[in-house]
Amino acid sequence: MHSATTSTKAHLSGTGAPLRVEGVAMTSSHNSSNQRTLDPRTKLFLLLAANLMLFFHVSVITQIIMVLLFLVPLAAAGRWKMTANFGLTFAILTGLGFLDPEAIGLPWLHVVSALAVGCTMMLPCFITGAYAFTTTSPSAFICAMRRMRAPESVVIPCVVVIRFFPTIAEDYRQIRNAMALRGIAAGGWGLVRHPAQSLEYILIPLLMNATNVAQDLSVAALTKGLGRESVHTSRTEIRMQIVDWLMMIAVMVPLMLDVAGVMR
Amino acid sequence: MTASHSPADNTAQTANQSSGKPAKTGKLEVADLITIGVFAALYFVMVCVATLVSTLFTGGFGSIFLPAIAALISGCVYMLLAARLGKFGGITVMGVVIGLFLFISGHFVLSFIASIVFPVAADLIARVGKYKSKALLLVSYVMFSYGLTGPILPLWFMKDAYIASLQARGKDAAYIDGVFANINTATFFISMAAILVCAIIGGWFGQKMMKKHFIKAGIA
Repeated sequence: MHSATTSTKAHLSGTGAPLRVEGVAMTSSHNSSNQRTLDPRTKLFLLLAANLMLFFHVSVITQIIMVLLFLVPLAAAGRWKMTANFGLTFAILTGLGFLDPEAIGLPWLHVVSALAVGCTMMLPCFITGAYAFTTTSPSAFICAMRRMRAPESVVIPCVVVIRFFPTIAEDYRQIRNAMALRGIAAGGWGLVRHPAQSLEYILIPLLMNATNVAQDLSVAALTKGLGRESVHTSRTEIRMQIVDWLMMIAVMVPLMLDVAGVMR
Repeated sequence: MTASHSPADNTAQTANQSSGKPAKTGKLEVADLITIGVFAALYFVMVCVATLVSTLFTGGFGSIFLPAIAALISGCVYMLLAARLGKFGGITVMGVVIGLFLFISGHFVLSFIASIVFPVAADLIARVGKYKSKALLLVSYVMFSYGLTGPILPLWFMKDAYIASLQARGKDAAYIDGVFANINTATFFISMAAILVCAIIGGWFGQKMMKKHFIKAGIA
């Protein structure tokens, strides 16, 4: 009896502990992310601002200021490596953009220079996008969408998409394992050698599973009341704080100045 | 004998199954929305794979062929969604969700517009064929594939930017035209034609896979 209980306890701690630890880690990171990242709506605003930069062809100085501003929240969220990577890439690309192929006497360098200018323009979008993607918890994202009165027919698929990504990754691993067991497309270049075959062998099981999962999820979601008409509650609270407003203003000022033509 | 008999049997069964579902009204229900979400996730993964492949093949101007490659590989996903759902709005919602995720992952905001307009058109085309007509589904898939042109639109914006920066450095207009003579319209048409061809091949492949796997299994 005693040994049985200890064994179950050991068993529980054997399987349950990592799960629980993971859960704790998740909630704690979740809490800290709540404190140290911006509101999802602010992130959307930053994305829009980055897009507007692309639209208005802002000058290089504005671009540098804006990118520095965009990197601040990323660093504040503790993504040091990503911040450094983006900063470095931006610095190199800006430098390449200033290259004058004529002066060096190599006209083909225009390709490099044009590419650099193009990538520099895209980079703000990527920075804000990476920030939005890596620091927003699904529940905060959903809460923000509901707050912005997005129709339920868009919110629900979005929930499912976020929920379904890990499942796809897991399924993919298992499918590859099963394929390797049968000696299909084993090795690094196996997939590339027969593209149509590998597409079929990977995608069809994924789709088969997807249809099943869709049914299971619908049952589960309906049980939890996703189909109800009334307002849904959320455990995650999102709130616009002073930092959010400050960030918005800080981003808007250089953009406005540039568009108005003051900072050219 | 049995082999020739079973497809008809199965189609009857699937017809029963689909008509037996509670959601047979024209409106999208929660179950349909979840189905759309699942397929949108798969489609988004396909787009990510396409981005990767396209970047590997074409280097820096990575995403020129993104829509084409995505169209090539995601025919199955689209065809199965159309067959599973079979009501108006599904394709549109999928396009909107994809556009939203593209925007959040840092793509150009105009991609959002493209990914609303083209899926709506695709949805309308598919509806004419009641989501059954193979030819119309293929056309609608081609239309849907153009919805992904959004992410590559910045290429033309960034051309303007480079021209602006050249002008700022005092190059004359003729010189600038010379630099961009062959980047402009040619690549645009090549990439558009590539989407057309790849979408037809991908849609055909998808329909073949449907016939081979899903209709037999009674899922589609």
